[in-house]
Amino acid sequence: MDVAKLDIKGLNNSLVFVFGEGSLEEYITIIKSKVDNNPQLFAGSSVIFQGDGLKLLTQDELADLQRICLDYDMVLNNMQAPSSPRAEKKPAASRDLIIYKTLRSGQRVHSDASIIVWGNVHESAEITAAKDVIVLGKLEGLAHAGCFGDISSTIFALQLSPRQLRIADRISRSSGDLVKNNYPEIAYVEDDNICIKEYTPHEAIPK
Amino acid sequence: MGNKMTEGQVVVVTSGKGGVGKTTTVANLSTGLARLGYKVVVMDLDIGLKKLDLIMGLENRVIYDIIQVAEGECTLKQALVKDKRFPDLYMLPAAQTRNKDDIKAEQVQAICDELRPDFDFIFLDCPAGIEQGFRNAIYAADKAIVVTNPEVSAVRDADRIIGILESAQFNDIKLLINRLQPNMVKSGDMLSIEDLMEHLCIDLLGVVPEDKSVVISTNRGEPIVLSENAPAAQAFSNIVRRLVGEEVELMPMEDDSFWSKLKRNLFSRK
Repeated sequence: MDVAKLDIKGLNNSLVFVFGEGSLEEYITIIKSKVDNNPQLFAGSSVIFQGDGLKLLTQDELADLQRICLDYDMVLNNMQAPSSPRAEKKPAASRDLIIYKTLRSGQRVHSDASIIVWGNVHESAEITAAKDVIVLGKLEGLAHAGCFGDISSTIFALQLSPRQLRIADRISRSSGDLVKNNYPEIAYVEDDNICIKEYTPHEAIPK
Repeated sequence: MGNKMTEGQVVVVTSGKGGVGKTTTVANLSTGLARLGYKVVVMDLDIGLKKLDLIMGLENRVIYDIIQVAEGECTLKQALVKDKRFPDLYMLPAAQTRNKDDIKAEQVQAICDELRPDFDFIFLDCPAGIEQGFRNAIYAADKAIVVTNPEVSAVRDADRIIGILESAQFNDIKLLINRLQPNMVKSGDMLSIEDLMEHLCIDLLGVVPEDKSVVISTNRGEPIVLSENAPAAQAFSNIVRRLVGEEVELMPMEDDSFWSKLKRNLFSRK
């Protein structure tokens, strides 16, 4: 019966989780038992979520599943939004992903909404979000806001010193000498270029 | 055999990047602990590329290895090599003719569990990389020491390793900075201890300065911690004392203002 609820297959160096019909609790139990049986297989593997079962999950539940995978050191690789017809009816249902830890080199998170990180994002860690990226700490890794093309997305960090920033299809590299400013900064797209400026709350974000 | 003084703990020494001094650290910490009277065993998990036996000067005493223990060809007691200098220090050698996939993490853990009742410290010398050999080493361990050098490539790998250790639910991860050159830090050509602590955000266990006599002692198979005057020997024996719960200040690194900054850094994180 478990197989019907959640099947895990290897495909092109990724693990594909195919969700059948089931509840969040059932998915979590299955994932945990599979990973505990063979932690080496899962740790460091890239994971893709697929299947009709996803359509029955809310964005909150999806975020819970992503968080579990991240806790087991898996790399989330869903570049297409796991589109759910329910979400299309109610666009507001799309929820942000909140991470309560520092992302270290080699760790990767993705959200189909915005991401908030309570911690640092170290060099060589990656964050991709369909909307905004907010880092309540240092951002030194790669951040990609608006990864499905939303050019109004922004990237915010208490200390913004990344090697590279991406917003929608725009890419901006650091000049080489890393300047460390001790004030919050925000990056956004203006006139086709990524601009970075000091964040001031009373100034409207150019959206 | 003397009596064991504490509850046995399994400590993995790891780094990600190769050549930063994992094996040297294992040899010196274990020798230092044995000198204080603790019962210590070191396990070389760098199967296929063993070095620990050389650095400890025990290469010609090796008869069996860890793979033979795991495969039941000999008993664990038969494979343990007794140190030349200290009666309560043992080494479990790696097999040079096999590779890391020939042993499973569960087998390493079973060996650790068998050793735990008889020893205070069980050190696992982890291979470089994050593949099977690394997984074998961290699976059985209770705590971790991450060794790094003050250079960006080693720091990136250390960061990756700490991330994996955190995901594996380790809550005792300590940093050992090896081969620091205070004069290069002073001239701005090398990352300082503060830079490293700021980037890696974990507890500092100690700092070992660059010391040419380490090469000599390594070639001779005599851990540097046993020599009298070498700066690295002093640093390692301070780290040993910290491992058994003593509060030992960081050694002054030639420059006073620099030193006072370090001291603050270490104790604010305690």
